[in-house]
Amino acid sequence: MASNAVSLYLDPQIRDWVLFPITLVMILVGILRHYVVILLQSQPKKLQRGAIREQRALARSNILRATSAYSPIPPPFYTSISTHLSEAFTAGTYLKDGPPKGDGPTSPPNPLSDPGAMDGMMAGMKTQMVMMVPQMVIMGWINFFFQGFVLIKLPFPLTLGFKSMLQRGIETPDMDVRWVSSLSWYFLNFFGLNGLYRLLLGDGNDASSQTMNASPFGGANASANPNPVQDFNKLFKAEKDHLEFSEATYIWVGKDVEDRVLRKYGKLAPLQ
Amino acid sequence: MSTEDRAAQLIFGPNVLANSAINSTKFLSACFAGAAAGILGLENWAGFFLFLIATLLSAGIIYSVNCKGRPNRYFQGGFIELVNPGQDNAFTFVLMWTLLYGIVHVYD
Repeated sequence: MASNAVSLYLDPQIRDWVLFPITLVMILVGILRHYVVILLQSQPKKLQRGAIREQRALARSNILRATSAYSPIPPPFYTSISTHLSEAFTAGTYLKDGPPKGDGPTSPPNPLSDPGAMDGMMAGMKTQMVMMVPQMVIMGWINFFFQGFVLIKLPFPLTLGFKSMLQRGIETPDMDVRWVSSLSWYFLNFFGLNGLYRLLLGDGNDASSQTMNASPFGGANASANPNPVQDFNKLFKAEKDHLEFSEATYIWVGKDVEDRVLRKYGKLAPLQ
Repeated sequence: MSTEDRAAQLIFGPNVLANSAINSTKFLSACFAGAAAGILGLENWAGFFLFLIATLLSAGIIYSVNCKGRPNRYFQGGFIELVNPGQDNAFTFVLMWTLLYGIVHVYD
């Protein structure tokens, strides 16, 4: 194609007034988005001491069980912790409202009417809005101000299918797809600045575009369990059964360690 | 308990966090590779080839100097996690490449 041999000459002022400003604006807006999301997040509700105690007891039991098959805790400690927790769960000493009075089964509060769950859903939606709105605004700004001229030449080739998207506003059927308009520079920046955000704002920042891909799932999950409204009595009963099961499968990591060390250094006959 | 669980039990959290500094290394190497490709005026496959060389070179240096030849002791994913630049850094390379190519070779 003739346009390969002929190179377009571009005014350096395009570089100064379009290339750098678009990049700078996108970086700054990304950082702004990140801090806006942080500021918009409502404070997590502080729980009372009794409620925290319930959750911590359950967490302690889970931690104990997680490593029970190859446990770093020697047998006397393991059995004493396990027995103590089992008895506490049966007697209900860790329950927030004290041991159960023996009246009819209580029903957990309705999650829809609980204001805690509402807060979770609102937080997910707020994050999504903060993501979408600046993207739309910047795209509109670029389309309004920076339309109708060639901005830059891509160093790599693309198929003709991209011509309509990347050269929007420039009505030349013959020009190489590598000469692109400012909207394509916006797309390049949109994808390419994620790494910079991770460097400036740390992992898990709210400015990178990967959160936009994950938001349908992440938002749903976040809104589903911010404040688990659970019946701890039932949970404790179930946990007690799990503890018994784990105690049966408990093996200390240092069991028969003397024999293993001797075997490793050849002082004892190897196992057949 | 499976062997993966046992292996996972031996991992020390703060060390894994400290070793995740390799992400910044990969990002910076992608940035500078993009700048080099742009300034040199590489086009098409030559540019992507430079990215490949730069990735392998920086991974090789970290492999020999930092990991002392045993990446499995430092990274959970082993050699692949060391070398893989990830989608973010590939796009960063393309962005820097386009930017520097434009500044040096397209504009007067």
